[in-house]
Amino acid sequence: MSLVQTENLTKVYGKGDTAVTALDHVNLTVNPGEFVAVMGPSGCGKSTLLHLIGGLDRATEGRVLLGGHDLSRLDDVKLTELRRRQIGFVFQFYNLIPVLDAVENVALPLVLDGVKQNTARAKATAWLQKMGLGDRLANRPDHLSGGQQQRVAIARALVAEPALVLADEPTGNLDTRAGDEIASLLRQIADDWGRAILMVTHDPRIAAYADRIIFLKDGRVVDETRLSGNGTDETKRVMAKMEAI
Amino acid sequence: MNVQFTLAIRYLSGRKLRTVLTTLAIVFGVLVIFGMNTMLPAFMRAFQSNVLAAAGQVDATITLKTSDAFDANVAGNVAAVTGVRAVSGFLNRTINVPPGYFDGDSATAGTVTALSLVGINVAQATILHAYPIKEGRFLESGDSAAAVISKSLAEAIGVRLGETFTLPAAGGETVLTVVGILPARALPGNEEVLVTLPQAQTMLAMPGKINTIEANYDTLDKTRRAEIERAILGTLGDTYQVGSLASNSELLANMYIAQAIFSLLGVLALLMGGFIIFNTFRTVVAERRRDIGMLRALGANRTTITGLILSEGLVQGLVGTATGLVSGYLLGAGLISLLSPIMMQFLNAKLGSPVISLSLVIGSIVMGVGVTILAGLLPAMSASRVTPLDALRPPVGTISFKRLAGLGFWSGAAMIALAVVALITRNVGLIGLGGVLFILGLILMAPALVNPIANLFAALAAAIFARGGTAQLAEGNLSRQPTRAAITASTTLIGMAILVMAASMMSSIQIGFGRVMRKSLGSDYLLIPPSVSVWGTNVGASPKLAEELRAVNGVAAVSTLRFAPTQINGVAVSLLGIDPASYSQVSGLTFSAGTEATAYAALGEGRNIIFNPVLAASAGVKAGDEITLIAPTGQQAYRVVAIAGDFINAKIATGYISHANIEADFNRSEDVFLQINLAPQADTQATESALKGVLKAYPQFRLIAGQEYMEEALRLFNAAFAGMIVLVIFLAVPSLIAMVNTLAIGVIERTREIGMLRAVGATRRQVRTIIVTEAIILAAIGTAFGVLSGLYLGYMGVETIRAAGFPMEYVFPAAGVLLAVVAGILFGVLAAVIPARQAARLVIVQALRYE
Repeated sequence: MSLVQTENLTKVYGKGDTAVTALDHVNLTVNPGEFVAVMGPSGCGKSTLLHLIGGLDRATEGRVLLGGHDLSRLDDVKLTELRRRQIGFVFQFYNLIPVLDAVENVALPLVLDGVKQNTARAKATAWLQKMGLGDRLANRPDHLSGGQQQRVAIARALVAEPALVLADEPTGNLDTRAGDEIASLLRQIADDWGRAILMVTHDPRIAAYADRIIFLKDGRVVDETRLSGNGTDETKRVMAKMEAI
Repeated sequence: MNVQFTLAIRYLSGRKLRTVLTTLAIVFGVLVIFGMNTMLPAFMRAFQSNVLAAAGQVDATITLKTSDAFDANVAGNVAAVTGVRAVSGFLNRTINVPPGYFDGDSATAGTVTALSLVGINVAQATILHAYPIKEGRFLESGDSAAAVISKSLAEAIGVRLGETFTLPAAGGETVLTVVGILPARALPGNEEVLVTLPQAQTMLAMPGKINTIEANYDTLDKTRRAEIERAILGTLGDTYQVGSLASNSELLANMYIAQAIFSLLGVLALLMGGFIIFNTFRTVVAERRRDIGMLRALGANRTTITGLILSEGLVQGLVGTATGLVSGYLLGAGLISLLSPIMMQFLNAKLGSPVISLSLVIGSIVMGVGVTILAGLLPAMSASRVTPLDALRPPVGTISFKRLAGLGFWSGAAMIALAVVALITRNVGLIGLGGVLFILGLILMAPALVNPIANLFAALAAAIFARGGTAQLAEGNLSRQPTRAAITASTTLIGMAILVMAASMMSSIQIGFGRVMRKSLGSDYLLIPPSVSVWGTNVGASPKLAEELRAVNGVAAVSTLRFAPTQINGVAVSLLGIDPASYSQVSGLTFSAGTEATAYAALGEGRNIIFNPVLAASAGVKAGDEITLIAPTGQQAYRVVAIAGDFINAKIATGYISHANIEADFNRSEDVFLQINLAPQADTQATESALKGVLKAYPQFRLIAGQEYMEEALRLFNAAFAGMIVLVIFLAVPSLIAMVNTLAIGVIERTREIGMLRAVGATRRQVRTIIVTEAIILAAIGTAFGVLSGLYLGYMGVETIRAAGFPMEYVFPAAGVLLAVVAGILFGVLAAVIPARQAARLVIVQALRYE
């Protein structure tokens, strides 16, 4: 059974003459442990799709099934709980809490879930070490580089052991090297820890790390490609597809 | 520690400057509420005892039904009754002196034939009465053979300070030394010779006795006063009687009004304190919303968010409130101890110590902590109503006037309309309510008005100093978020409103009150009958007196008032006859409808009458109306030609007609009040003694210099209202500081935007200019609205004082408005300079990273 399934997912912003259809009857699936990239030109609805799947926003029509739960049927309390336990978020601008240090930021979802401070901190520390940030535990976000901040954000996304990680342009704010590091980290998350990853990106090179790419245009799925794993060739293929769209 | 609390502490300590400034807002808010209300009772009590003392009245006078003397210890029993605030025992006796006793001239009737010897307990009596010494000193408890008398008595019996005079006494004549002189007696009754109680007891051979106890109560409440009275009689037994200040007396009515004003100031402090706190937190709301969105995305539920805001509010609210309570008390106590000697010296008003009631402490804590939490919870609630994503999104897009001009705008407009209607009704209670409505209305309307006003001021700023598009940028920043701008500006509004209110009241009091008084009593001399304004009890003088006075060398003009009681539309009216030709030379009415020239001329021509404002209001009459006067000669039809009043009759329904008419219709030709002007080159001393010579035959009149009488009236007035002005200033100062605070927070919160400006190529200088311009525009908006509100509140204050029976004109506070504008701009710059420097110095990347 797939982890994520969308059925005729539609999102319309505004009303009447000013209405804009961001997503138009989108149907897709993400399987457990699968790394899926979503690509498409600006304004094609990539981020909207991610937000709907993550339960950050409500659909106008259609539904999202996550692990068998229909998100549209969950009230705010259940939805919040689901986000906390089942989903990890990685944003383009990291969105770390500026007044908390690295460990505290990572531990936050656990603490919010009522896990004891010590346990939460221990888990957070372990994840930060896995991300290569063992020597940056007590640093606040403004004392970390962009790449380091994003790794803290990834650790935060993983600390609650969610089945699904949603990443919105995770490398959009990073240089090439840091971007590659983050992309391979995501690959590793799927391969080693079996988490499903749904990543929105502009960058064909980064998308090439995924198992599968879904192309969106004007709110519709226009193409889908399964990748072989050969980085350079795949990048070229993806670029060609993007140009076609 | 739970997560909410940890987060709260982290947020507070991670944003030190913001935390300090917002906590400061709580401190100021609580300081205003607490400090103000601890001072209020002291001022209110000083006011009450002052008004009573100045009017020579007390709440209760206790005597034996037989008027006999009784043991002095009885005063202690009265003092022990709950609700009795102050008590003093007196021994007084009327002493009749034979003709010529003082001046040695037994042929003519002396000016003094009877006076009261009053033995007073110095320590107690000075609490109940005002003894404004003009020369020398007041009695001291150890004094023997010392006396304090009024200036008029001193002149009548021909003694000066330090000289002696004799009085008949039980053990033979007693020689008393004048140690102090009080102002000329303006109250009805005999002249008094004040001596210490033991002295009086010796002179009257009544050791250990008193015959009168005076007492003041601690309440104005009618039923409570009746209870206290019953309790006193219960303690003393039914051989005693209590004479109380009539509950419907004018004096008591004035005190009720004044109490209402004081309470209004307390409520105003409460509102303002709450508003300062609320506004400050609303200023940081945009950032909160984003944080909350982020926490929600990570899985924090609404309870967690609420808990976080509650913890933050609790920590900050408690620290701020505690500091505010302490500093409010210190400020109140400091101000009272600073003002006490001044008030004592100039106004003879005793200020008690600050009063802390449990309910006030609880109220201040509720306001301090409660408003802080509420101000934080509102954005939290709105952020948790939308999806986490919406909360994360920055608010964008221009906001149309139409959207802003919604329910808030129109209900604001309605409130202002109601406030204006309230002003027209001239009802003190309604006007007070109108003041609150007016400010609320402006605050509600402000968001929609920010854009046009910001445009206007931006154009101004662009023309003056902010060139190169910086003024437009500053304006754009404000117009994009009109609600935030309006909230920040409304703190300025409150501060400025109170400043302008204080200025209005002060200028009206200093200029308007003096103007009315000078016009009415500005003559060189007044001949005052025993009872001023309650004319009916006076014995007047025939027109011969005026003729004699006019004949005195150096007298330029004499104007007289004649009196007749009458009724108009069932209202009892005091009718005064004036000589239209001479009245305006010596005295004058202050006109609110009709003009001086035509009105006086009309009085001389036919049956025409001028109404004073009290009469016009109570009879429901306006200029031009025909009315009927009940006269001994039958009903007489008069036409109202103007509405105008004078100072002494301001509180009494009074009509003015000509001497000729009052004689023809009411058969009255005796003068009850005379005013005299001297010729410019007159020898003042010679003329004055000549006038006194004429007056020997008219002992019912006292000659008082106009200037002296005015000073005395002004002193009474200051005694009553100086405290109020102090309190208004006490409100204005913290609100000005709060305004700087809010503006500064506004700038700090936009560090990120500032980084953006630098990133796209703005120079440090431009950034500084933009921020300062923005703050100035913001301050200008607040000041513009504040001046408007202040004018309303000031007018309201003046109306209230007028309603309390002090006639005065409203004087537009031009200087105050100018001061407010300068202060507004100055504080605006002040609030922006430090954050602007900081912002301009920021490393761009750091500024961009500031969240």
